Order: sequence, then C-alpha cells, then structure tokens
Amino acid sequence: MSRAITTAPSSLAHHGIIEWLTSTDHKHVGILYMCTGIFYFLVAGLLALVIRAQLSQPEMTLVGPHQYAQIFTLHGTAMIFLFVVPFALGLANFLIPLQIGAPDMAFPRLNAFTYWLFFFAGLTIFSGALVNGGAAATGWYAYAPLSEISVSTGGGQDLWIVGLLMSSISGILTAVNFITTIFLYRAPGMTMWRLPIFTWEMVATSLLILMAFPSLAAVLAMLFIDRHFGGKFFDATAGGNPVLYQHLFWFFGHPEVYIMILPFFGVISEIIPVFSRKPIFGYTGLVLSAFAIAGLSMGVWAHHMFTTGVVTNAFFAAVSFLIAVPTGVKFFNWVGTMWRGSIVFTTPMLFAIGFMLNFLIGGITGVMVASPPIDFQAKDSYFLVSHFHYVLGGGSLFAIFGAIYFWFPKVFGKMLSERLGMSCFWLLFIGFNTTFFVMQFLGVMGMPRRIYTYPALPGWGTLNLIASIGSLIMAVGVLVFVWDVVTASLSRKHAPDDPWGGYSLEWWTTSPPPEYNFTSLPPIRSERPVFDAKHPELVRSGNS
Amino acid sequence: MRSARTLLATSLLLCTAGCGVYALPAGATTQAQVLRQDWMVFTLAGLFVAVVVFGLILFPLFVWRRRSNDYPVQFSQNSKLELIYTIIPLLMVIALFAVTYRDEIIVEHLGAHPANTVDVLAFQWSWRFHYVGTAINIVGMPNAPPQLVLPVDETTRINLTSSDVNHEFWVPAFLFKRDAIAGVKNSFDLRPIRVGVYLGRCAEFCGFDHALMTFTVRVVSQADYARWLRAGGSSIVLSSEGATL
Repeated sequence: MSRAITTAPSSLAHHGIIEWLTSTDHKHVGILYMCTGIFYFLVAGLLALVIRAQLSQPEMTLVGPHQYAQIFTLHGTAMIFLFVVPFALGLANFLIPLQIGAPDMAFPRLNAFTYWLFFFAGLTIFSGALVNGGAAATGWYAYAPLSEISVSTGGGQDLWIVGLLMSSISGILTAVNFITTIFLYRAPGMTMWRLPIFTWEMVATSLLILMAFPSLAAVLAMLFIDRHFGGKFFDATAGGNPVLYQHLFWFFGHPEVYIMILPFFGVISEIIPVFSRKPIFGYTGLVLSAFAIAGLSMGVWAHHMFTTGVVTNAFFAAVSFLIAVPTGVKFFNWVGTMWRGSIVFTTPMLFAIGFMLNFLIGGITGVMVASPPIDFQAKDSYFLVSHFHYVLGGGSLFAIFGAIYFWFPKVFGKMLSERLGMSCFWLLFIGFNTTFFVMQFLGVMGMPRRIYTYPALPGWGTLNLIASIGSLIMAVGVLVFVWDVVTASLSRKHAPDDPWGGYSLEWWTTSPPPEYNFTSLPPIRSERPVFDAKHPELVRSGNS
Repeated sequence: MRSARTLLATSLLLCTAGCGVYALPAGATTQAQVLRQDWMVFTLAGLFVAVVVFGLILFPLFVWRRRSNDYPVQFSQNSKLELIYTIIPLLMVIALFAVTYRDEIIVEHLGAHPANTVDVLAFQWSWRFHYVGTAINIVGMPNAPPQLVLPVDETTRINLTSSDVNHEFWVPAFLFKRDAIAGVKNSFDLRPIRVGVYLGRCAEFCGFDHALMTFTVRVVSQADYARWLRAGGSSIVLSSEGATL
C-alpha cells in the first residue's frame, strides 16, 4: 500500500474518563451511543427472559400482573428507543464523516449534546422503577385513556413521557446534524451519487426523523397536559377523542419502524458487496427504493388502526402493500450483488444472510397484516408479536451484530474472533427462529399479546415452552458475544486498517482512525474509492 | 377458477389435517368463512414468495463461493432486470389488494334488518351484554366471565363501545376483532354457522387484569334461543349440546 500514515492512531483506551465525558469527536460520540445502546439491549433482553419464563407454562406465578405490565413496557421502550434507534444513530455518527471523507460532523457540540440528552432520557425512563407505583405499565405506545392520570396514577408514566420527549428532541437534532453534514461536508469528488449506501440510507432516515418525531413530541406533550393541567385532548366524556392519540402516535410510530430498519438496509448493503467481492447491484434503484419506502411510510400510519372502525382501511391497506415493492427491490439488489460473485463466509456476512432470511419472513407476514381482513385476527395477537420481532429482532438486531463484527476492527483497532462470532451467529439464528416462528401459530390460535397468564388451552403450553427454550438459546448466543468482545478488547493483537478488503473511505484510514480522520484521501471516482485505489486494473470503464 | 377453488379447498383440508390444533380456527360465522379464504390466499402467496426468494438468496451461497483470489466480473446493473423485479411485485400486491378490498366489504357489510341486536359494553375488566328490546343484561366480572348467547344461522348486530379505556372484542373462532373505544360506537354483524361454545377475550391491553377479561359465546339453535329470550336470559332452558371450541 502506498499511503503512509505515521501519526499514532488515537488509541481510545488512552483517553481518560474526562475526555470521554467532554469529547465532541464524532467517533467518541458514536461509540458512546452504541455502547449505551448495547447496555440497554442487555437490560431489555433480561426483561424478555423474565417474560418468556413467566409464559413458559400456563398459570405461572413468577411475576404478577402489575410487574408483568412494567416489564413488557420497559422491554419494548428500551429495545426501540434506547437500543435500536440509538445504535443506528451511533453507527451513523461514527461512519458518516468517515464515509464522506470529512474530519467531523457539522455541529460537533450539538452532537455531544444529543448523546447526553439521550443518556439522561434512558435514566429518566428507567427511574420510574424506583418511584411509588413503579415504572410505566401501559405498553410502548401507551394508549390514552389507559395512560391518563385517572387510570395510570403513578409517576412512572410521567417519567416515561418526559424521557421519551427528551429522546425525541435528541433524535431531531441528530437528524439535522446528519443532513447538514452529508450535504455540506463531503470530500472533493464525493458527489451525492457516489455516497456509500449506508450514508444514503441515513439521509432517508434523517428526513423521516424530521417528519415523524415532532408528532411524537406533540402527542407526549398533549398527554402530559391531559395528566397535569386539565387538558381533555383524549377524554371522550369532555369532547376529546381517544382515537386522536392513536393517529398522532402512529403518525410517528409507523415511520419509526422504517427509522429502525433503513439504517440496517444500509449496513447490509455495505457488507454483502464486500464479501461477494463485487460492487452493489443496482445502486441507483437501491437509493431510490430507500426514498420510496420513506415517502410511502408517511402514509400508512392507520394500518395500526384497522380495527378502530373509524379509518379508511382500504387506503391505508393499499399504501402499506405498496411498500412491499421497494422493499422487494432491495432484496433483488442484494441477490444481484451475490450473483456470480465470489462469496466469502465471514461472521458479518453470516449475519447479513441471517438478516435477509429473517427479514423476508417479517416482510411476508407484514404484507399479511397489511390486509384488514387478516389483521382482524392477527392484530394484538402473537402473530403480530412474531411479525414485528422478525422485522426488529431477526432484521435490525441481526444487522446490528453484522455491523459490530464488520466495523469493530475499525472502531477499536481489535479483531473479534471469527470462531466465537460464528458460534454467536448460529446460536442467535436458531434461538431466534425457535422463539418467534411458533408464535405465528399461537397468534392464529387466539393467544393475545400482553397477557401475563393463560389457561391450559390445547397446544398453548407446548408452543410457549418451545418459544421460551428458544429465548434461552439466544441468551447463550449473547453471552458468547459478550465473551468475544471482552477477550478481543484485552487482546494485544492489533487489527489491520482494512481487514476485509473494504470499499468505502473508512477503510482507507487507520484502525482506529486518528483525530480528524484522514491524513490523505484516494481519488473518489465511484461509490467505492478504496477498492478503485487498490485495484485500478478492475475499475469499470463506465464509472462516472 | 374452478380448479383454483379446488386447490384452495384441498390445501385448506391438508393444513387443517396436518396442523391439528396448531392452525387457524375453522371459522364459525359466515363472515369468518370469507376471512378464512383471505388467510388461505395470503398464506399460499406468502409461501410462494418465500420459496422463490429463499431460493434466490441461498442459491448463490452454494454456487458462487470464493474459489480463488481472483475477483469475479464487476458488473453492477441490468436495467431490464431491475424493471422486471419492480413490476412483478407491484402486480402481485395489486392482486392481493383486490382480494382484500372485495372481502373486507363483505365482512363489514351491515344488513338492513338484523334479527337480533346486542349492545356490548367493555369496561375494566369485563363485559356487559344488553339484548336490545329485552330486559336481558348480562354483566361479567374478571373471574366470572359473562356469556353471550347467539342464535345459529341468524344475523346478530353487535354495537360495541367502552365506558373507560380502550378494549377490543375478539372471538378467535370468528377470526374477527373490533375495538371498543369510549365515544365511538362500532357496529358489526355476526352470523354463526355452528352450534357450540367459543372463547372470547379482550385483545387490547387495558390494565392489570387484561388477561382475565374473557367471555364465552354460546351459539344455540334458534328454538333454544327463542326459549332463552322468553326465560329472560336464563341459561337453564338451553339444551346442553355443543362442546367448547
């Protein structure tokens, strides 16, 4: 390799605690986001194990109804707001400046501020567990009137509202930062149509955040006003309307689903080409599909309300079905990338394949529940629980593990073990499908979500026991992962700058990258400048 | 069309036989018969897509593993192919939407003259069934689920609402649920086709005893139903036919 970076990499281990608390470096902020996210993943995962233990047999009494409601509320809230979204934002924080050849984010101090706002948001939500009456216990979407003060009297609900308000503001500011950075801070040669797919997906994600999060902030503020200042927004006896809560919440809540998946479509679109040793297939279509998904996702919110009887089901069903088209395009892009490739089975690639297989099931069941006649049975049943876990767990979570195994050497300058990584993958893949596949049957048989106990109806005990065993297998997989991270961090072996033969600019600089990221940049003439620089003989003639 | 129906019926039979209790309930109302068809259409379409796309994902993994250090041909687009794989899914979802649209209208159709009308009120954490035009009021408690008595082969109109938080009226054997929301009156028709006792429950999380907010639906013969009405809702007059389904 021709480039010679002699500056010592800014070894993260040598930074003291004060540097970490005050840093505005996008890499530090990104790492803080991701590590905090993983912490909440472990917490929310433990809560899930309690849920599965409670449901492993009919009539179990491990936890009571009050505790159970708090547990599933915190599980959902933490997985969504404190893990999947912050992890995506953290990864984007780390990667965007590197992928576009910039020294940092456009607004570094705002960036640090958004992290600390999110940090305290998580503490605020969980502090509900310490107050009288316990943590919020109304589920992650906290429908009014159930979340009104007349029914949910405890302070836990208020702390939940305030915590989510903080996290929504944090998200909005982060999106502003991402968009500004991507539009204004690209290196010379890095035109928009040469952006790596991950960065493109973050443009779409950021726009969605800007459109959706204000609706969340509004509905939370209205709920708070209802609870403490005599508002009657959702009180049917005083001219308010409980359905309004659902409209405002899902106007945020459905785009949120895509905020939690678009970044990971990006991750998969980075991993598959590198390990197929080919460029991404259908770059332009892939980018356009992200924006098609983002646009359509703003018009589907009421498919969460098919059974309310007061929305135009046909319209929302039609738009929801349409989302399957650009999502399908992405699958064909990935297949096209692997087609006649030279596929290398590394841990990140395994997770990317697992992502595709799981997400396909989530997508197919998604089209099913987008049909109102099917939703009439599936809604609020374990069929739906299975569906969204296939999207978020089998999809986003698998992509997160893929991302960790792919970029860990870049972020920390250490290699994770391929042997442990593959064990982790197989445990998670088998455990995940054991847990969530059987839930489809439980759902159509009539088991609703959010019940803390159930009678011994034919077949229910068996399927629930299978699901619980699967969750234990997943837990072992997570332990293997934790062990892998610990041993890799303690290892003295240094990761190479470009262990995988990567394509985008982050693989040009050192592992970990120095302060301000680059001491040199290769010419940028396609979406994979590092590949072009290393393999000039393979540069496509038609490349613009 | 005829052969498609036969295929549908056969696969329905296969699934019911193969899966036993681990399957969609048979569908105990005329509306549920339509809903069940939707499940079959979507399940078959889903299985078809799953087989094709799983194949497309797995095929390259077996055929194009890395065998040497040489890079493969670096192709990255094919406009014709990209157009095809956009249009085919589009046509599929348009067809699925047509099925959905047609069937939802059938299922949600409100007959002009329902034989009976029951006002259903959901509350934390049970149900009240009021038979309109009679003095019959059946009120349950969390540990004493109420029973909704319906005549077979007759249309009953349900008017559903809530007196407090959101609830949801769900009878899995009817493949149907609807929200009970304060300030909203939701009406739907049920026309049971099989005598028996069916389990029902609240499906929208409504607080701590949500899990206990159950009820039963007892579908009886029309003669039994008339006798039951005359007896002011006393279930002693009902013959004991029909198992819990």
